Amino acid sequence: MKGSSFTYLIKEGARNIWVNRMMSLASIGILVSCMLLIGSAILLSINLNGMISYVENQNEMVAFLEDDADDTMVSEVKAALDKNSNIDSFSFVSREEALERYSEIVPESLLENLEQDKDEVFPLSFRITLKDLSLINETTAQIESIPGVMQVNAPTNVAETVTGIKRAVYLCGSGIVIILLAVTLIIIANTIKVTVFNRRKEINIMKFVGATDLFIRMPFVVEGILLGVISACMAYLLLWGGYTYLMGHVQAQASTALSAFLKNMVPFSKVAKQLLASFAVGGVAVGVFGSMIFVRKHLRV
Amino acid sequence: MIRFSNVSKTYDNGTEALKNVDLEIADGEFVFVVGSSGAGKSTLIKLLLREEIPSSGTIEVNGYTVNRLKRRQIPVFRRSLGVVFQDFRLIPTMNVYDNVAFALRVTNVSTRDIRRRVPYILSLVGLASKARCKMNELSGGEQQRVALARALVNNPKLIIADEPTGNIDPELSYEIVDLLNEINKVGTTVVMVTHEHDLVAQFNHRVITIDNGSVVRDDADWGQR
Ligand SMILES: Nc1ncnc2c1ncn2[C@@H]1O[C@H](COP(=O)(O)OP(=O)(O)OP(=O)(O)O)[C@@H](O)[C@H]1O
Ligand SMILES: [Mg+2]
Repeated sequence: MKGSSFTYLIKEGARNIWVNRMMSLASIGILVSCMLLIGSAILLSINLNGMISYVENQNEMVAFLEDDADDTMVSEVKAALDKNSNIDSFSFVSREEALERYSEIVPESLLENLEQDKDEVFPLSFRITLKDLSLINETTAQIESIPGVMQVNAPTNVAETVTGIKRAVYLCGSGIVIILLAVTLIIIANTIKVTVFNRRKEINIMKFVGATDLFIRMPFVVEGILLGVISACMAYLLLWGGYTYLMGHVQAQASTALSAFLKNMVPFSKVAKQLLASFAVGGVAVGVFGSMIFVRKHLRV
Repeated sequence: MIRFSNVSKTYDNGTEALKNVDLEIADGEFVFVVGSSGAGKSTLIKLLLREEIPSSGTIEVNGYTVNRLKRRQIPVFRRSLGVVFQDFRLIPTMNVYDNVAFALRVTNVSTRDIRRRVPYILSLVGLASKARCKMNELSGGEQQRVALARALVNNPKLIIADEPTGNIDPELSYEIVDLLNEINKVGTTVVMVTHEHDLVAQFNHRVITIDNGSVVRDDADWGQR
């Protein structure tokens, strides 16, 4: 293909957008709305997931060591915990620290009645947070089997609930996104169909002056790409602005109970690149394949 | 050269539009095709353009066996001829110049050649001064001259016109046919369908009469009738 043809095709695609600007505006409007809906659904599930992870991280399990544990044993347990792939973090709690924590929640008088030496009451322990709460039973068993570990206290019930919620959020989120995608495709397909139908005369003329099918298709494809990219950028900017505004607003207003959750809202910059990329790829793919399919029908002259 | 050998066309709904047509048109000829409505004139043109495929028989045009062309050969074949329709088929959102240049742009002609060729053709059809006009600023006759310019711009050996004067005033019709006449004088073959007998009578050209799907008369010129 000659350079002049290439510039012609690009120009023609851009010209078509301008000449049919009402239709182009409508297409952009539809694309942007669909992308906004899908983007919001994605952001919402990401945030719900983030909040659940926050809850997860609050749930520590405690591994108590045998009473006669000495420094070597502690470091052996440490090494074993290091090796476990489902452990996110752990920290060693000395007898003194345990006592300190305990005295924060229990009245002083109770402690004074202890028969043993105060410093000797509490066993050595590790506070452990997990990466994946749904594997809590397996991980508990693994930790219990480490020599020197006496007992593991794990919030099994909480873990089950959280895991259940997580699965539900995931399923609902994907379900909503899939439905939105399907609706989007149907709407876009119809828009492209109308656009192509409005220009069937032009296609017919091109056929009679001897344009190849590829040449007839290209301006539509270019148009699809341009509309897809424009819509992706607009949807991205709108979502960015909207989300950032909402985040600021919600975090400023939130009551203290909620604020811990909301402080954990995923910042837009974290998902920005992926969101823009998928909008652009989605928009362009829809534009290109849509025009390929619907122009085809009118090429049979 | 155009040659129809025993060509028949039956549409999917069973209409027999053409029946066993044999026809030969030599290079450089000017031929009118006349006949009553529904006789099969447009069908003949559609077969010539490979818009339709004959049910049987062979059609040769400009050295191509049209009924056997592969899909990808059709564009190249169509570049060897120019077409004019009754309804002009111009693009309303483009000006005169672009409507004509369009035919070259979509067939990979270089920008340099387009800039050279289009003004020349526009002056040939008398529209040099209207190059920047939009379609809705032109009369029917002028619009048909734009269409004619578009048909001529790639220098075809053959011009095919299906009732080119059907949508314009009788006074302007003469102008269009006269223009085709001038084009024919420099060697281009012209096949023009019409049912305006008065118009045909003003030129001394071969007249093929179709009735009910068959060629019923073939006169060297209208005066012989
Ligand atoms: N696509 C089609 N499908 C079915 N029948 C058709 C089709 N096109 C034309 N016909 C029929 O074929 C016959 C010839 O039609 P054609 O268009 O060739 O006539 P025509 O001579 O051009 O008439 P007119 O002067 O009115 O334009 C008519 O009976 C018409 O109804
Ligand atoms: Mg007709």
